[in-house]
Amino acid sequence: MKRNFVLVLCFAVIILFSLVNAAEIQIDVKEHTLANGLKILMIQKAEVPRVVCHIYYKVGSINERSGITGIAHLHEHMMFKGTQVMGVTDFEKHAAVNDRIDELMANIYREKFWKAGGGDKEKIAQWQKEYDELVQSEKQYIIKDDLWTLYMKNGGTGLNASTSNEVTGYYVTLPSNKVELQMWLESDRMANAYFREFYSEKDVVMEERRLSENRPGFFFDEQVSAAFYAASPYHWGVIGWMDDLRKINKADLIAFNKNYYVPNNAVAIYVGDLDPQNIIQMAETYFGRIPKGPDIEPIRTYEPPQYSEKRMYGEGPSQTSLQMMFHAPYDGQPDAAPLSVLASVLGSGGGGGFGGRRGGGGGGTGRLYKLLVEEKQLAVSVSASSRAQWYVGAFQFRATPRFDKNVQPEDLEKEIWAEIEKIKMEGVTPEEIQKAKNKFEARFIRSLSSTAGLARTLGRAELHRGWRTVITELDDLKKVTNDDIKRVASTYFVKDNSLTAIYKRQGGGRRGGRR
Amino acid sequence: MKKTLVILLALGAIFVSIGYTQAQKPSDLKYPNLKYDPPDPKDFRTEFANGLRGYIKEDHSLPLFDISAQINFGGLYVPTDKTGLAEVMSGTMIKGGTKTREGSEIEERIDFIGGSLSFRTSERTATLSLFVLSKDMDEGLELFFDVLMNPEFREASLNLEKARLISQLRQANDQPNSILSREYERLIYGDHALTQQPTQKTYESISSADLKAAHVQYFFPENIILVASGDFDKSELKGKIDKLVSGWKNKTLDVPSFSKQFPSPEPGVYFIQKQINQGYISLGHLGIEENNPDYFAVQVMNFILGGGSFTSRITMKVRSDEGLSYNQGSRFRYRWGFPGTFSGYVQTKSSTVGYAISLILDEFNRIRKEPVSDDEMDTAINYYLESFSNSFESPQRTMSAFADLEMTGKPMDYYKTYRDKIKTVTKATVQEVANKYIHPDKAVIMIVGDFDPCNEGGDKWEGPLGKLGKMHTINLKNPLTGEELK
Repeated sequence: MKRNFVLVLCFAVIILFSLVNAAEIQIDVKEHTLANGLKILMIQKAEVPRVVCHIYYKVGSINERSGITGIAHLHEHMMFKGTQVMGVTDFEKHAAVNDRIDELMANIYREKFWKAGGGDKEKIAQWQKEYDELVQSEKQYIIKDDLWTLYMKNGGTGLNASTSNEVTGYYVTLPSNKVELQMWLESDRMANAYFREFYSEKDVVMEERRLSENRPGFFFDEQVSAAFYAASPYHWGVIGWMDDLRKINKADLIAFNKNYYVPNNAVAIYVGDLDPQNIIQMAETYFGRIPKGPDIEPIRTYEPPQYSEKRMYGEGPSQTSLQMMFHAPYDGQPDAAPLSVLASVLGSGGGGGFGGRRGGGGGGTGRLYKLLVEEKQLAVSVSASSRAQWYVGAFQFRATPRFDKNVQPEDLEKEIWAEIEKIKMEGVTPEEIQKAKNKFEARFIRSLSSTAGLARTLGRAELHRGWRTVITELDDLKKVTNDDIKRVASTYFVKDNSLTAIYKRQGGGRRGGRR
Repeated sequence: MKKTLVILLALGAIFVSIGYTQAQKPSDLKYPNLKYDPPDPKDFRTEFANGLRGYIKEDHSLPLFDISAQINFGGLYVPTDKTGLAEVMSGTMIKGGTKTREGSEIEERIDFIGGSLSFRTSERTATLSLFVLSKDMDEGLELFFDVLMNPEFREASLNLEKARLISQLRQANDQPNSILSREYERLIYGDHALTQQPTQKTYESISSADLKAAHVQYFFPENIILVASGDFDKSELKGKIDKLVSGWKNKTLDVPSFSKQFPSPEPGVYFIQKQINQGYISLGHLGIEENNPDYFAVQVMNFILGGGSFTSRITMKVRSDEGLSYNQGSRFRYRWGFPGTFSGYVQTKSSTVGYAISLILDEFNRIRKEPVSDDEMDTAINYYLESFSNSFESPQRTMSAFADLEMTGKPMDYYKTYRDKIKTVTKATVQEVANKYIHPDKAVIMIVGDFDPCNEGGDKWEGPLGKLGKMHTINLKNPLTGEELK
């Protein structure tokens, strides 16, 4: 059994102590970068003797291409399927079986997916039979969910992983005396991932996709998103297309792992009852032994200008609704802040709660709610949101018409456009702007109270433009003026930059219609 | 620049040489001792004027203030012909304004200071929650207690809320999982206050006077427990609250009584037709009450069976071995004052519905017949012991958990003795409670899915579904009228 570690003897220890002020609030983040490029962030917070341990990789569905959509998420699943050390009783013996399994499945995929008409059924059945037998015989070597069980046995909570367009994260919260376990396991799977039970896990992921498909309106939303993002890799969802999930093979997975699961493409963040020196020493010991990988090129294809209006109509087993989407600045562009403030003004308050970093919501004191739900009574709900992702941005309106008053989505569309035109001319009131700013600030301070939330926000931000952007973003929001609002409304709320999607409940758009 | 780097490099080497040596495998890791004692409810319990109780914790780490009121009131207490009153109250308690303030005025102020004020009701508890920056505490408290004590449920907001809820009713049969959980409970509890569903008619019948009457009946100091945490001085906060509630009168609590007799539905398969590409499945029967002395053994047993995510048997078998599903397991649900439900659950593509059910039934039988392994026990027990401190991570949630103990009449030393009780669970008691509380022969198997492909089955388990037990069909109801759909 050969381990892939190269012991790195020389490394730099650079400890940065950073205090950043926002609204007289200090976030005391300690930073450390290993020689192999892995960034360590630490925040001390000692309500209970536990430490939130998250590791984020700068990889997500935008790093996929046609043919392997969904692989970032599938790979996240596979990271729980063992390493050269974990999840196996006898690595060499299992590897022999595993190699033959891969060989058989490669044959089957070639026959089934490359040949017209699905290939030679008899050959496939023969390979499948041998595969089924080998899957039974490999069981004797496999220790099921070894890493997960070990975390659970040691009091791991918040145990999970997630994949988004841009980032993949692996989470556990442990008693403060057991952080070393996370260092051991995460450094092991960063360096030594070994993918067992790949083909049954693909089935699991396809079931996960089916769960989404059975959510009313899913297919329409998926198509809306694909139409809105025409060229950039935001075109497909994180779950991927079903065809790709079927056809992704082991070689794809290994190549993906090799490219992106390297220390210089990750950040490890620890929040809780911790001693930074202690964390740094452990990180040097465990993560420090992993060699640096090659630099990674960011995505190439941004969203091109749209040039013409897009409209979509759909009908199905879900409630009638209107969506209006506009291409907007991406994260870090100056116009992102005024659009966030505007989303908050239009859609803020009430039941919307404190959802993430995006502005907006659908609550009781937003302009659109007051106008369309309360005054005119045309809508059951209406929301506005502005979302700046790493390489694309979207400003979105959503509304549900009053069925009992026979209001159609098109009626709401007209109302929203009228309000938009008004804002282009007059902007919004100083009170509305101040309210939005107060909300952003309060929400920011509140976000600091959750250890896991802090880890999530700072970890993700660190991978893009640095964790300090969490603070500078708030400063940018505070500087927004009414002129900015008028300018961004005129710039982005134009038909040629929009997609309008109208969905109607099957056979039920009109009053009295049957469900 | 270069020199500095060299020095840093040397420093780095020293750090590590006195630090950690790499363990070869995780079992070699040695952890320092860690002792943790949970907070004691006594240290936080506070009595306010007029018998109002509270659990209050100062927390000066951030300039925040959180307060909520837990009220012994919920949808269960509402008469049948007013089913949905609690939902309507949820949406109008704040928006409907108070004697002296319009709802919009309250919302506007809270929003302007970046706070949040929300009200929700559940089966037997209602909760009003406020969050503001601590500099805005006084204004927040005034609005909070005004809403709590003097809601007016004005007509305009009431009508809007009813229209919203009726519009929401139209979606009641859209989501397979909400159909499943609603119909599973309806089958297990039968026609009981626990399973009443609102209709357009019951929503429309609810008046402002009904809401006020319910408020008068249940919202009084002795029937409420406060929960607060944040950047304040406890005695100052107590002074402020005492003043705000000084004129608030108590009443005699009059909660309706409910039968605890439930029908035993005929075992077998209950199918609900919906054209989707998976079957959504629950199988099981009535469970236990939370104050059952076997509670801890049942927790450990269910962790091994299907509650302990990837370490549990059902997940390993159904998901990891067979790749049949993304989401699967078993659970005991608890509800205050009544036995909860026990169920195995899974969602899987139509052709493997029968197979997945058969595997879950096998696991129900296995945990009854065979003792669990030492490893399984070790993992389960250690999970509960080692993760225990996680429950107290947020001061506000800790205070809320203490209030919940008092509200539902659980022993106040629940957390203090929790780990000792978990430690007393043995392999023998696990098997004993599995036999006592899991009855595959009495289980109902409910499936929401597309009948023909589900019934047909696949290679590993050929249909028909009737092999699993007597077949029943459940017709969904029109959620607006409550009448059966054809």
